[in-house]
Amino acid sequence: MKKMIFPDIKNCLPGLVVISIFGLLFSPLWADSIQPSQLIMTILSENTLSGVAGDFVVVEAQIQNIGNEPVSGITTYLTLCDRENKLPVDLEDWSAEKGLFIGTIEPGQIFPLTWKIHFVKAGDYSLAIIAIIETESNPQVSSLTIFKVSPKINLNPGYVLPVALGMPVILVLFFLVIMYYRKQNK
Amino acid sequence: MILTIWLKEIREELFTWKSMLWLLIVSLLYSLTSYLLLTNKELSLLDQTELLWLFSKIVIGAAFLVVTINCSSLINNEFEKETAESLFLTPLHFSGFIAGKILASITLWFYIFLISIPYIIVITIGTNLIGPFLLFLGILGTIGITGIILFITGLSLIFRSTKNTLTTSLIFLFAFAVPAMFSTTLKINPLAQFFAKINPLDNIFGSLDNVLVDYQLSLAQNFKFIFPLILFCLIMLIFLIFTAKCTQKRGGLK
Repeated sequence: MKKMIFPDIKNCLPGLVVISIFGLLFSPLWADSIQPSQLIMTILSENTLSGVAGDFVVVEAQIQNIGNEPVSGITTYLTLCDRENKLPVDLEDWSAEKGLFIGTIEPGQIFPLTWKIHFVKAGDYSLAIIAIIETESNPQVSSLTIFKVSPKINLNPGYVLPVALGMPVILVLFFLVIMYYRKQNK
Repeated sequence: MILTIWLKEIREELFTWKSMLWLLIVSLLYSLTSYLLLTNKELSLLDQTELLWLFSKIVIGAAFLVVTINCSSLINNEFEKETAESLFLTPLHFSGFIAGKILASITLWFYIFLISIPYIIVITIGTNLIGPFLLFLGILGTIGITGIILFITGLSLIFRSTKNTLTTSLIFLFAFAVPAMFSTTLKINPLAQFFAKINPLDNIFGSLDNVLVDYQLSLAQNFKFIFPLILFCLIMLIFLIFTAKCTQKRGGLK
């Protein structure tokens, strides 16, 4: 009974040799189907990304096909993450250009990618470019770029509160004075 | 006589705090708007000139609304309460009566303009726009509001009813205000362009835009906006003179 469950290794040897030979022969094909894409995305403007809330900044990047085959049906888009709040950022207000569709990239070809983004809120952010390829199940991601958006110090936010509260108060006092004089005249 | 009617109306406005409550509400509206413009995280990202332009829209909008409602009832009240007859029995001239009422309505605009000044100062601090902005807001607002007051006074003499005058005036105000809020891309159509040229609100906002965004600070550079406003005023004056003559021919009170 024990021999049936764990057969003698000598009997299995020819089978193992055959499987090993097949494995060696076809391993390049398997490797090709599971290896990452031939695309490389680089953010070029990572040093100029930081700014003040309200600024419009151009994110410049490039996508390159480093493989030997053309890659087609590529869609690239930005993804932004708020590092302080640990939340992804909805790009609705940040960028009007949501995604960029690239038809085909020939081997060795480089495509420039640009997005104009509006710094809406101060904070620390990380930005990456994602490429979705029609024929591949896994998206390709560029390396992360970290940048800081400083808060916009308005010219005079401090003065507004005294005026915003003071003017209605002055008017109320003015009405009270009118009422007082009216009573005095009566 | 004009002065007498004008002072009578102003005293009536100041008679009770209730009759001036609208001014407090306008002030609260300015407070809320200016506070939001300067402190709201997203609104405060706008350029300072854009903040001013937005605020000027609030000032002009509030002024047009208040003046339209007030002016619609100023003359009609005299007819509806049957006090006009006793007024006309005095040595008061009809034109003096109308001019006094018009001056009283224009005074409301000055109240509104006056209380907006501290807010404008707060929003413009740090720029050199305060002088030109106040000057142009004052000039454009006065001409535009005078034009609309002349028109509503003319309507009052035709309708002799506050309800009808107010409804018609508000419809006209709405017709002027809505296209003025459209963006420039919606004004490419020749008809829309023509309407923008004759619309007083469009000319006021266009001139303020010219001052704030393009820094065209002289009167000559804004003449293309001021001239249609003056023309609008003159046409409305002719309309008022025509309706006043008709009213006098009919015996004033029929």
